[in-house]
Amino acid sequence: MRRRKQSGPVDVTPDGMFVLNLADDERQSFNHFLDELESLLNEETDDGRLRRLFPTAYHNDALHDAEYQRLMRSELLQSRRTAIDISRRVLDSHDALSEGDLMQFMQTINSLRLVLGTMLDVSENDEAQEIINDDDPNAPQIHLYAYLGWLLECVVDALQSSLD
Amino acid sequence: MRPAEQPVIADEPNTSDVVDLDTPWIVLVWNDPINLMSYVTFVLQKLFGYSNEKATELMLDVHEKGRAVVANGSRERAELDVYRLHDHGLWATMQQDS
Repeated sequence: MRRRKQSGPVDVTPDGMFVLNLADDERQSFNHFLDELESLLNEETDDGRLRRLFPTAYHNDALHDAEYQRLMRSELLQSRRTAIDISRRVLDSHDALSEGDLMQFMQTINSLRLVLGTMLDVSENDEAQEIINDDDPNAPQIHLYAYLGWLLECVVDALQSSLD
Repeated sequence: MRPAEQPVIADEPNTSDVVDLDTPWIVLVWNDPINLMSYVTFVLQKLFGYSNEKATELMLDVHEKGRAVVANGSRERAELDVYRLHDHGLWATMQQDS
């Protein structure tokens, strides 16, 4: 009997491309999260849940910050939408991915974590979320947050290894 | 100790990011409880061309001291850097260096 090779969610190919090893149901679920993120972005970008996606640029300088937001907010929004579109393509395809596409997927995973982390009001002290109490009404979101953290770590590891 | 002939790993960004004392704007990254340490390190390497050692040092400064200066330059340059950091989900601000 041959033991199945244990593989992580992201492999680096010898020619510097990347392969995403996600099951079809994981890909489907992920597409659903992308839809939710996109619909949140289609609403008001000053929604509290999105505050980490559109941070303040000027510390203690409301006037300059308003100008920055006026100029850059729509660019930031467009960039996040583009990253979501590319992430959908990444999830739909089983082909090897370029570094650029995996970077866009990485940014989208991070955007989802930022929104979820904000909703869950994650603080420095909550770092060890390893034991999740399933009676907690937020348990599904905490599980998802932990899953996204694990996936992001794997994507970063793969990209980092191609930098070394 | 490292032998003298071994190449020195650059720990500074490329020439476009070289410190200019006449343009006193600094870009700060602030600690936050959500972003992963490995992610922050990777983003700093990718955006500024820092070595892994330099990016890790900056990330640890952010984590332990609450913030770190990751770049500096003209106001326009700083604003672009802040935008790129925001685009990657980092909590960055800019201010004039006093």
